[in-house]
Amino acid sequence: MIETIPTQLIAIGVGLAAVMAFIGLNGLVLVYLERKVAGFIQRRPGPYEVGPYGLLQPLADGLKLVGKQMFTPKGADAFLYWLAPIISIAPVLVCFLAVPFGPHVTIFKDMNVGLILILAFTGINVLALCLAGWASQNKYALLGAARDISQSVAYEIPLLLSVLPIIFMTGTFNLYEISMGQGSWPWQWHVATQPLAFVIFFICALAETNRAPFDLPEAESELTAGFHTEYSGMGFGVFFLAEYAYMIIACSVATVLFLGGWNGPLVSGWWWFLTKVYLLLLVMMWFRWTYPRVRFDQLLNLCWKWLIPLTVINLLITALVVAI
Amino acid sequence: MENLAYIVLFGHIGFILVGGFMTVLAESLVRALLGLIMTLFGVAGLYFLMAAPFIGLMQILIYVGAVSVLIFFAIMLTQAWSGGDEAKPRSAKTFIYAIMGALAPAVFLGMAVIRTAPPSIFTPEETEIKALGQFLLEPYILPFELISLLLTIAMAGAVILGFERRKQR
Repeated sequence: MIETIPTQLIAIGVGLAAVMAFIGLNGLVLVYLERKVAGFIQRRPGPYEVGPYGLLQPLADGLKLVGKQMFTPKGADAFLYWLAPIISIAPVLVCFLAVPFGPHVTIFKDMNVGLILILAFTGINVLALCLAGWASQNKYALLGAARDISQSVAYEIPLLLSVLPIIFMTGTFNLYEISMGQGSWPWQWHVATQPLAFVIFFICALAETNRAPFDLPEAESELTAGFHTEYSGMGFGVFFLAEYAYMIIACSVATVLFLGGWNGPLVSGWWWFLTKVYLLLLVMMWFRWTYPRVRFDQLLNLCWKWLIPLTVINLLITALVVAI
Repeated sequence: MENLAYIVLFGHIGFILVGGFMTVLAESLVRALLGLIMTLFGVAGLYFLMAAPFIGLMQILIYVGAVSVLIFFAIMLTQAWSGGDEAKPRSAKTFIYAIMGALAPAVFLGMAVIRTAPPSIFTPEETEIKALGQFLLEPYILPFELISLLLTIAMAGAVILGFERRKQR
């Protein structure tokens, strides 16, 4: 029986299990980091009671979430309500299959459409958030979902347009090959030739992952918690985990496209990749605790009046240079 | 290996059919949309089976990621709770007409496809994205450009209609 199972299927199975473990572990690390960074920026210690330096705090949080009762609000569509967190986390597992962590640590090396795979599957998250907001039968949740749609639809355009110059320059969608094509020193990375595209990509990634200052769908001060207001226990926990997983994906793509992937000074390898991803994640957290939340009109104006024209000009210039 | 391929193929077809029936029979509009998304996903999976991952991913990116989200937005603007006019039980006559209406194109297209089927190969080959791009911009450039013109006209029309509505108020 075992001989009849093709090896690629086994590779996918093992890869998915590894990805799940990676996401879970990263969730713990990032929750701890987020709270510590927030603490340092606001001149308070952050978590420090549970374990040395509060290191066991995320585990305690996780246990609390798992132990809580799963509660379905009255009048909600229970099927859609519980489907939403699953739709939110499932696509992100697929995305990790295409991420090249290192020259030997990649699940699929010859995935010719890796970049499009990630872009396509991250787009499904919007749908999950809408379903959550709609199925909750709660006006705050519905408002959060409506905001999420207009935000995501708007920011998808500059996101795609800021990725395209790199595709023009490298001529491939394969993330492994894009990493291979960059040298080990920072001036050999694509960020040196495409700094504008990198900045715009990062801004759009913040908006697409609903991170502050673009966290309007879950604005705590006005919508209580936005689309996940009604979720308790692991319903909320899964949304949270998915958000962190999408952040990792966004930072990984930024690393591969603009920061040279696993290439780094001295010895190249997956350690450089993870270092860069974590540096970008720390920058995201730094932004969150530094900038106030933008207003909705500011958010859309920034996208339609600045980012889209800038990316189009950048794309045209790149196309011209590549053609010459 | 061959059995596995059949299982995957019929799994996809079953998935598409379940999604389609959910779209037609669901009482709540959002559940119907979910059925539609299931169908779109199933079709994307069929593209993958035919070794056209680029088209499959484009299907997910455009239809699941963008079009169905816009449909969702439209649903949220209406107050579409289940229990509206559409939720009433249908008569047997409507049911039969619906099934006949759904089968008609399937029968005609199916016959055409079966009669003029090109000889199939066991393992389909993946077309390079570069080759796809060249096909679109060299021999098929006229239809390609006409489609974009059509989209522009549709968008301009939508904008004009939207502004006319606003004036009437």
